[in-house]
Amino acid sequence: MLAQKLHLLRHNVLSFVSSRTGSDFTRRQYDVIVVGGGHAGTEAAAAAARLGAETLLITQKIMTIGALSCNPSLGGVGKGQLVREVDALDGLCGRAGDAAGVHFSILNRSKGPAVWGPRAQLDRERYRQFIQSELLSTPRLTVLEGSVDELLVSQPNPEEPGHHRVTGIRLVDGSHPILSSSVVLTTGTFLSGSLFMGQTTSPGGRMGDAQSCAGLSYTLKETLGLRVGRLRTGTPPRIVKESVDLSLAQLQAPDKQPTPFSFLNTHTRCKPEEQLPCYLTHTTPGVERVVRESVHLNCHIQQDAKGPRYCPSIESRVLRFPGRRHQVWLEPEGLTSDLLYPQGLSMTMPPELQLRLLREIPALHRAEIRTPGYGVQYDFVCPTQLTPSLQVKSTQGLFLAGQINGTTGYEEAAAQGLWAGVNAGRTALSLPPMALSRTQSYIGVLIDDLVGRGVTEPYRMFTSRAEFRTYLRPDNADLRLTPRGFEEVGCVTLRRYKKAVSVRDGLQEALMALQSVALSSTRWREKLGNISLSENKSTTLNRKQCWTFTIEIYAVYRPHCEKQSREMERIRSEESLSLPSDMDYLSLPVSLSQEVREILDRVRPNTLGAATRLPGMTPAGIIHLLNYLKLFTHCKRRHA
Amino acid sequence: MLPCSWGLWRSAIHTLKTFRASPSARGLCIPTRAVCDAETIFALSSGHGRCGVAVVRVSGPASSMVLRNMAGLTQALPPPRTALLRRITDPKSKELLDRGLVLWFKGPHSFTGEDSAEFHIHGGPAVITAVLQALGSLEGVRPAEAGEFTRRAFHAGKLGLTEVEGLGDLIHAETEAQRRQALRQMDGELGRLYQDWSYRLKRCLAHVEAFIDFSEDELIEDGVLNQVDSSVRQLETEIERHLKDERRGERLRTGVQVVIAGATNAGKSSLLNTLCKNNTHTQSMTHCRANPHFNGQPCMSALSHTPKYAFFLMTKSLFLMVEQADLTLVVVDSTQLPPDPQLVAAFLQQHLSTVLPSPEAGMTAASDKVLLVLNKSDLVPEEQRERTEGELRERPGLPPACFLSCSTSTGLEDFLTVLQSRVKTLCGDPLSGAPSLTQARHRAHLQQSVQALNQYHQYRDQDLALAAEGVRLALTHLGRITGRVGAEEILDIIFRDFCIGK
Repeated sequence: MLAQKLHLLRHNVLSFVSSRTGSDFTRRQYDVIVVGGGHAGTEAAAAAARLGAETLLITQKIMTIGALSCNPSLGGVGKGQLVREVDALDGLCGRAGDAAGVHFSILNRSKGPAVWGPRAQLDRERYRQFIQSELLSTPRLTVLEGSVDELLVSQPNPEEPGHHRVTGIRLVDGSHPILSSSVVLTTGTFLSGSLFMGQTTSPGGRMGDAQSCAGLSYTLKETLGLRVGRLRTGTPPRIVKESVDLSLAQLQAPDKQPTPFSFLNTHTRCKPEEQLPCYLTHTTPGVERVVRESVHLNCHIQQDAKGPRYCPSIESRVLRFPGRRHQVWLEPEGLTSDLLYPQGLSMTMPPELQLRLLREIPALHRAEIRTPGYGVQYDFVCPTQLTPSLQVKSTQGLFLAGQINGTTGYEEAAAQGLWAGVNAGRTALSLPPMALSRTQSYIGVLIDDLVGRGVTEPYRMFTSRAEFRTYLRPDNADLRLTPRGFEEVGCVTLRRYKKAVSVRDGLQEALMALQSVALSSTRWREKLGNISLSENKSTTLNRKQCWTFTIEIYAVYRPHCEKQSREMERIRSEESLSLPSDMDYLSLPVSLSQEVREILDRVRPNTLGAATRLPGMTPAGIIHLLNYLKLFTHCKRRHA
Repeated sequence: MLPCSWGLWRSAIHTLKTFRASPSARGLCIPTRAVCDAETIFALSSGHGRCGVAVVRVSGPASSMVLRNMAGLTQALPPPRTALLRRITDPKSKELLDRGLVLWFKGPHSFTGEDSAEFHIHGGPAVITAVLQALGSLEGVRPAEAGEFTRRAFHAGKLGLTEVEGLGDLIHAETEAQRRQALRQMDGELGRLYQDWSYRLKRCLAHVEAFIDFSEDELIEDGVLNQVDSSVRQLETEIERHLKDERRGERLRTGVQVVIAGATNAGKSSLLNTLCKNNTHTQSMTHCRANPHFNGQPCMSALSHTPKYAFFLMTKSLFLMVEQADLTLVVVDSTQLPPDPQLVAAFLQQHLSTVLPSPEAGMTAASDKVLLVLNKSDLVPEEQRERTEGELRERPGLPPACFLSCSTSTGLEDFLTVLQSRVKTLCGDPLSGAPSLTQARHRAHLQQSVQALNQYHQYRDQDLALAAEGVRLALTHLGRITGRVGAEEILDIIFRDFCIGK
């Protein structure tokens, strides 16, 4: 029954697509155009459409929309928080994860609910199908197959800051231009991307896909004058499951009861007993030997483009930390897939050596490779050139999200995509841009880090990046974001909003009830036996012994979050003071040292908060800036 | 949303308290956000050094509590803005610290707009230190950061736009003075101790963070946390011991620090000898120069007797000394000056740029941090000297220059007048980094650090996120002394110490 329904959906997608491709589609003016159909692109397109913008998603290959191009998993520590937040803002990836997951587990179970990491292994096919059918059923969203050749750029709107304004795109096939108020670029690794395997190099952003869009690169670098940097990443070979001796690996069972990512779901599509296991195995000295012998045949690792320190290829792990055993996870690719994904064995050596390396691992001694691993090097746009709404500062209406901003990971891409889509939609509908505070969400931390500090290696989310980690928890993402998403942003549906509000009200009521019980610490001890109570707060029961789980989490963290609330408020008030992006710091008539002027001019912080966090900024400089801002807005109000 | 609900809770609780406190004013109580949120701060507001009266200011919600505890006011507070002579006692030991005037300012009618109090006490360093330490021992009261009083006044709308113009400069001056003070501390044994704690704490935090972010997928040895446990305990013990045993710690460097810099044979030693031989004012002045030791050697002689320290070869540490100095005397051999008086200014400018650590900073601070001493004036023809003097007097970009002959003592009187007036302003300058205040600040941050580390043990087995929060907080407090530590720095340690990757 389910399969039949899926088949139907798939059929619909195809027909939907064909009816809108090529000469069939007539519309030439959209509110928002999204370029790219990966995690960032799909979230961006869906978010813009939810906001009410007429949206066009352009992708090179319709069948790869929603494809998981690397690891078949979603979430984790830090990343799981991002998935929950994207879901709280009504994004796709949480629900897609629930539909496609085949192995659910909550990481860090023993370390406190603030740092739990919901994670799932995914069925690639199911994930793709879910995303495609979601997009199909999204009103105001059109999907088009094609390659973008260039961005159309014109004179800026003089009332807004910026040197250019984007007006649409032109496709490679040279047909008519397609116009729009805003454009979101989510081209991933396709910006001047090149693929590496052994000593061979070929242009492209992903094996098996069309080449990168040279025209787009040219527009960004030459026409818009954006600064770009170069990063690298890689993917492991895919192994034929049958050829693996799983008895030699350690079985890793999923959670007995899967926990869904989405706040809307009470259970996952995959039944608890249908879940698939993962396997853990380790590298051997033989692996290290093969790496050392093949270094001279390996272009990728000899290049100096920056790779991530935390997701390195097996080559760099072995070379940086020699003589150790490294973990390798063998992960299922799906319910029906005959492949395994060796997490931790990303490599770029020639294919025959890849096979030799794999076979040095006992469980893989007969392993067969379906597709070899390879490396990618690609351009990213230095994200300090963006505003907190992810718009390019110099170009009105142009938004960037995902790997093009120097990040890595599906969750990071989805989070940015959603926020860029929201702001692209708002711009098209003539609404002011919005920013998420780092005191409110991991998405806010991610974007603030990107636009405020830039990146030197592919950026990945860690919980240690969040100052207010005990408040930014996976359990309260809906309470933190959903009401605002509905009331202010407009990207949340009524159904989800009502649900979040009822949770909030219920929680409040329960807390009121608990709070009204006041006893002395001696009386508490009498009633509850030997639990740890804080003596100075003896009148209210702060911790534990609450009957529901949420309340327990809430009660444990509340005193700490309250302690931090002053700091949060300070950051928020500084974040609310925005610095005009066209400010001429070098000649600003306030007393600032030349050094501070140059820092400000180079980084051009978006808010006073961002300026405060700049290295080299002085307290005196901040006060002068603040004073100038007050004068400036004062004068402006008077003139208005 | 959650913050809303907190807000509700908070304001509900707050209103409740106010009602109880003043039932008669029921209708009038409007809790103001600024008042209920801020911490209470204190600082010495008058100059440091010997003075008749010293003023210590307190601002924030706990001000009335401070006044009650320290001035023995068990009943009502004095009427606002009225001076009251009280015995000032230590709130814990009840020991008498001083007799002095106390004043109470009810917000918003105060400098900062918050509830404030002032203590006018005798100006001796011992009394000031005792009062500041007593204040720091009260819960919820901490030493002010640089410019914090003024910043609060600004945020409360107590300063007009024109007054704010000066605020930036004031804060700059304050931070500058604190920075100099801090540099002096950091250079010594105490500084090394703090740096070492900070380094170890950073590693602890990095290892806890690594365990949280990576241990599920990575090979992070289980022993990591046990190591952290013992390191944290060790740190706690060390800091606590340090706090208890303040006398063993290095004495803070006080006074006005004067550095004599100059080329080999310019006459630095002669100048020092001349200064020490001469009148008592200068003598006490040269002696009050804080810690006369630099790397174990008397610093003046390090400069004058060791030819390799001649400033052309000035080593980094000597630059540092000039940077730490409140006043630098740059000695120049007059016979080296260009004979044409018109060229002298440019020559001296060039000269200074090689002596001062950052030429630009030197120039802007030229007028108050540097004096030029043109020694061996007896070897220069009188007429040339006079013409040069005239030329230099019209140069505003240069620090004041005095012709002097150490061998004949010609020009000594004039030079001493200039020097004394300069030292006087420095001593009276409230900003030149009162060491007792710095000490109180350090104590407060160290105490908070230890408290925060306690939280680590308390939550270690229940909730690692909360335990980590304790280490983070401890590092933040220590960072107030040694410099802020960002998330990136912690990640750097993680990736250096562990092989993370999947």
